[in-house]
Amino acid sequence: MSYTRHTSTFRFELLPSSPESTTGFGPRLGKTCLERYGEDGVLEIVTPGFITSTSRGVVPHLSRDNTDATDAIRWAHVPFETFLEHTPPVPTLQSGSHPLHKFLGFRPNQHILTMTLRDPSDDREMPANGHSFVSAYSLRGVRKVSPGDWRKYVLACDPDIAIALSDTPFTTVAHSQKRTTKSLERSAAWLADLLQAVPSPGSEGPTPRLNVFVHMAGGVIAAARHAFSVSLLEPLYEREAETIKPFTHLDEGVSGYTFDLIPLYDGLSPSSRFNPPTPSALSTVEETVEETAAALDPPHSSSPTAQLVPLLHASLVPLPKTKPRIVHSAGSPHVMLALIRDVGIDLFDAHWAQRAADIGIALDFVFPAPPGAPDAPKALGNNLYDARHAHDFSPFADSFRTCADADARPVCPCIACSPSRHAAPLRMSALDEPLSEHAPTPFTRAYVHHLLHTHEMSAHALLTAHNLSVLDAFFACVRRVLADRPADFAGEVERFCVVYDGTMAVWEEAKATWAEVALARGKGRLAREKERQEKDALGTAVEL
Amino acid sequence: MQFEVLAKCHTTRARVCRMKLAHGVTMLPTFMPVATQAAIKGLTPQQMEGLGVSLILNNTYHLNLRPGIKVLQEAGGAHKFQGWNHNLLTDSGGFQLVSLSKFTKITEEGALFASPFDGEPTMLTPEESMSIQHAIGADIIMQLDDVVSSLTVGPRVGEAMQRSVRWLDRCIAYHQNSGRQDKQNLFAIIQGGLDPDLRAQCLDEMVKRKDGVAGYAIGGLSGGEEKDVFWRIIKQCAEKLPEDRPRYSMGIGFAEDLLVCVALGVDMADCVFPTRTARFGVALTFKGPLNLRLGKHSREFIPIDDNCPCPTCSDGVSRALLHHTVTRETSAAHAVTLHNLTFQAQVMGRARDAIMNGTFPTYLREFFSNYFGDTGYPEWCVNALRSVGVDLLEHNTDAKVVEGDGAKWEYSDAS
Ligand SMILES: [Zn+2]
Ligand SMILES: [Zn+2]
Repeated sequence: MSYTRHTSTFRFELLPSSPESTTGFGPRLGKTCLERYGEDGVLEIVTPGFITSTSRGVVPHLSRDNTDATDAIRWAHVPFETFLEHTPPVPTLQSGSHPLHKFLGFRPNQHILTMTLRDPSDDREMPANGHSFVSAYSLRGVRKVSPGDWRKYVLACDPDIAIALSDTPFTTVAHSQKRTTKSLERSAAWLADLLQAVPSPGSEGPTPRLNVFVHMAGGVIAAARHAFSVSLLEPLYEREAETIKPFTHLDEGVSGYTFDLIPLYDGLSPSSRFNPPTPSALSTVEETVEETAAALDPPHSSSPTAQLVPLLHASLVPLPKTKPRIVHSAGSPHVMLALIRDVGIDLFDAHWAQRAADIGIALDFVFPAPPGAPDAPKALGNNLYDARHAHDFSPFADSFRTCADADARPVCPCIACSPSRHAAPLRMSALDEPLSEHAPTPFTRAYVHHLLHTHEMSAHALLTAHNLSVLDAFFACVRRVLADRPADFAGEVERFCVVYDGTMAVWEEAKATWAEVALARGKGRLAREKERQEKDALGTAVEL
Repeated sequence: MQFEVLAKCHTTRARVCRMKLAHGVTMLPTFMPVATQAAIKGLTPQQMEGLGVSLILNNTYHLNLRPGIKVLQEAGGAHKFQGWNHNLLTDSGGFQLVSLSKFTKITEEGALFASPFDGEPTMLTPEESMSIQHAIGADIIMQLDDVVSSLTVGPRVGEAMQRSVRWLDRCIAYHQNSGRQDKQNLFAIIQGGLDPDLRAQCLDEMVKRKDGVAGYAIGGLSGGEEKDVFWRIIKQCAEKLPEDRPRYSMGIGFAEDLLVCVALGVDMADCVFPTRTARFGVALTFKGPLNLRLGKHSREFIPIDDNCPCPTCSDGVSRALLHHTVTRETSAAHAVTLHNLTFQAQVMGRARDAIMNGTFPTYLREFFSNYFGDTGYPEWCVNALRSVGVDLLEHNTDAKVVEGDGAKWEYSDAS
């Protein structure tokens, strides 16, 4: 059967075992299914789970063969703005089936791709969005992208999931209430634009349609967030109704919800350039929102995450519970656990774990936390820059075994801990004899310590694959606890936060050592890159 | 080492050999990718294995600084440290010492230099170089030689050559006493600058010491000398070196240089060029290099080379995507590095097959016609190959010939 664009069906099922919560917001077990019309197999991703972040369309530090060798990569998030360097954007010119997959090297039978305009981890100041455009960042300057452009790009690229444009301001100007209202209106209108019926090729087969996710607008004003959600449920009339036919209201056409935490953290910070106005008339909405569980948050993020929870609730209260919820830029497993427990978030991006690979951290943690209370909180990972690893020939993580060990710990399947021989090495001449056979040995901390200190890129390839695998194991265990003993979940979250250091001291330490090594080499990066580096943009700690 | 010549070209001096070392067999002629600091830039040993590479190079000077000999010893040698279970070659550390150290003073005892750690005067003697290379544990190790730039003239060149011979004796003595000859193979390095008389003297002396060495390198070139002088020195050395020892041309990596050297009788070569140029976005192809940074590739939805078996091309990674990611994403460097190393390996692999099948002269003509057909043949290549009986211009009388060094990749794609 030939490939027809926009005929992948995205479904989300909540598993019945999800523990019920009195607030209506508790941890949930679910499953996303992506079925491609005319192609074999369904891509199933169980939740809570994660989505791999990309930079310029690729998973930082992983060549395609290493991406393929990393089973943890099942769903990737592709910010599109870097492609605006060319007009029309080059991926829109790719021919053949699944053009975005094909262009970027993801496998339609292995990977779900989300396409979004802006990088959710980028909070650089930007020129204001307009009534009919979003300001996006490309290396050739700021680009204005209209909802019409966006729809055209999405239709040409055929991602599995498209995120509608959202009016999230990244300007220094204080946002007035009028501005907030306008932002909600724009975000809803831009969503409507993407929900327009997809032109059908006219042949048999299912009616093509896009799987659209919507970013939950409203910033740090709970009432505005609530109002935005309510607007998604209101029946549309006249021209607007005509636009989104056959849907009667926007939410009907929406497959899931996304939450970008960066603008929320920025808005909540006292030094914020966002300075939210005091909520006024709409503030009664907040009373319907549960205040939850600040007490259980990890110490370092106690206030910000606790403040996030009611904001996310405000968005979700009016909406159906049956759609998946994605959070971008959760900064630690502590935050992820809190949002699973208190909000019922289903998917998180892996930006945090991938960034750890940039700065030399090999993640080393499990859920539930190991029994017993440590004297001091354990680090979530090992800073391999640190001199204590110079002579340390152990594998990356203590919490996992390697392919060479045989004990009760879970195995880390990554290319560093469980490398496997190449299945079919190239032979460059008829004379060549097969390479001698040896079982590959797991990579050691001492080796990666050396690679980091000599600025060898291989370090980051190994760390990226490892960190994504550790995160994958973490979510698998979260799901297991939710499935097998849901009543214990909240307690395990609490214990995790006690056992593991949520202040992420190891992170700051690794960044400091990274900076020292970079300085010692006397090589600075371009100013533009430095700015991104300070903002923890993926891939920027590594010198090419 | 087991070394066997399997076939010789009926026209040129090229030959195919089988070299068995402690970590397996490497077929020659071959190109050795350089893992200066115990990693091929951005790749894993498994990826190198996937390319069919069986012999790589580590730099002694760098490994001695980091991670240091103690760490390597604790790891059980450089093979184990970097997870590379195939053949490995280390240089003596002398070349980098001279090119990278703040001051280096050569005395009869050894090379005196400022320690990069504390600036203290430190001596690298031939014995010390052997000892470090023993700790690293490579399958092929190099004598410490007295390196002078190929542009040096005057008595210093002869002095360096003679000292290299004396240092070879010290390396042989130290290596023989170590009892490691069954695992590690010492290569001598022919010096003598660009002076054929000095080269001849060096060859005489070092060939006399054949029983103490497993192979010979041709040193002191690749430093900016004229190509026309370069190939004559290579030819002179390759002709004089014993038949039953591998011949290694140090620091050679451009495809045309490799093929000329092979035709003159060279078996092995190494260079950082293919991996370095990959990081700058240059992909090597049989039709000449492609600079992927150029805008003209931004909408090309074809691989670097449709016929290339490398992981990048066989997976269909487009030039357009590489254009979007080169010099910005490390994974683009990895993709082009995988390709460029495959290109080098193919150039040499096809040479092996052609020599074996008696078609090496044809292979040379076809390669040069594809690679330089548009821009012109470097005159020195034409001359060098004529000297061993292959006329690149045969049946091709209107071919363009370019004087000078003709390093095509520098000006390729300058559109
Ligand atoms: Zn691992
Ligand atoms: Zn290729």
